[in-house]
Amino acid sequence: MLELEHEIKRLVIETLNLEDLKPDDIDPAAPLFVEGLGLDSIDALELGLALQKSYGVVLASDSKENRRHFASVRALADFVSTHRTKS
Amino acid sequence: MMRRRVDRLGRIALQASYQAHVDAPDAPVLFASRYGDLGRSVELLTQLARSEPLSPTSFSLSVHNAIGALYSIARGDPSSYGAIAAGEETVEAAFTEACGLLADGVPRVMVVIYDEPVPAPLQHFSESQGLEFPHAWACLLAASTGADALHLGCHAGTQAAEAPEAPEPPETDGLPADLRALRFLVTGAAGASRWEHPVGARRWRWERHA
Repeated sequence: MLELEHEIKRLVIETLNLEDLKPDDIDPAAPLFVEGLGLDSIDALELGLALQKSYGVVLASDSKENRRHFASVRALADFVSTHRTKS
Repeated sequence: MMRRRVDRLGRIALQASYQAHVDAPDAPVLFASRYGDLGRSVELLTQLARSEPLSPTSFSLSVHNAIGALYSIARGDPSSYGAIAAGEETVEAAFTEACGLLADGVPRVMVVIYDEPVPAPLQHFSESQGLEFPHAWACLLAASTGADALHLGCHAGTQAAEAPEAPEPPETDGLPADLRALRFLVTGAAGASRWEHPVGARRWRWERHA
């Protein structure tokens, strides 16, 4: 799981062009949006697309569910590990 | 966090904006670019043609006012911003719009002009002869009736009306129109007192000491 968290951190940094950040700078338990990393709704869409491409996970349109999956790197790793269709 | 959204064109445009805005931070802003971030649109259209999913970030930034909007967000400034594209007359259109704002009583207006070489596969639409390069410039405009005033007029006809016996040689330096306008503006009193810019059935006439 740690490995997947690290992978997702790299994906976040690359996808969102966070040029000043390294994977170790991201706290896997910290909020990704608004607080913490300070990402916004466009980032959420971009990240959703990247997760879909990399892991074949499909995000539902249920925003409550998505909010939970996107809460932190750790939550994303949990979501990806249970829903991935690509390795 | 804003910088990651901005590509080369936006970065040079905003660099010019920040530098010029220092002297009048309250001045409303006109962003003007003939082609804007056309490379982004080409990329999105290419992805669309391949039935690939489009990047939401790129899509949101592909509109002509995206660079100005990011500047507004980054400065936390909700005042007047405009985005202009008017082909070869882009600078003239921006200055005309600025004159409108000045006539409305705004003391100063910032105009930002920026462009990049036209990307493939659209490069044959470019009218400059190979002298294109990414560039941006910005200036603050204020209304003036003094000796340093500049005049911009638009006249019908493809010939210089007042000197038909000596038509000006066509400009062959290959610079984009906005840089020819900049050259007129920055050469000051030492330069030509007039620059005519024919576009279609119009002649834009830039004058000083008029």
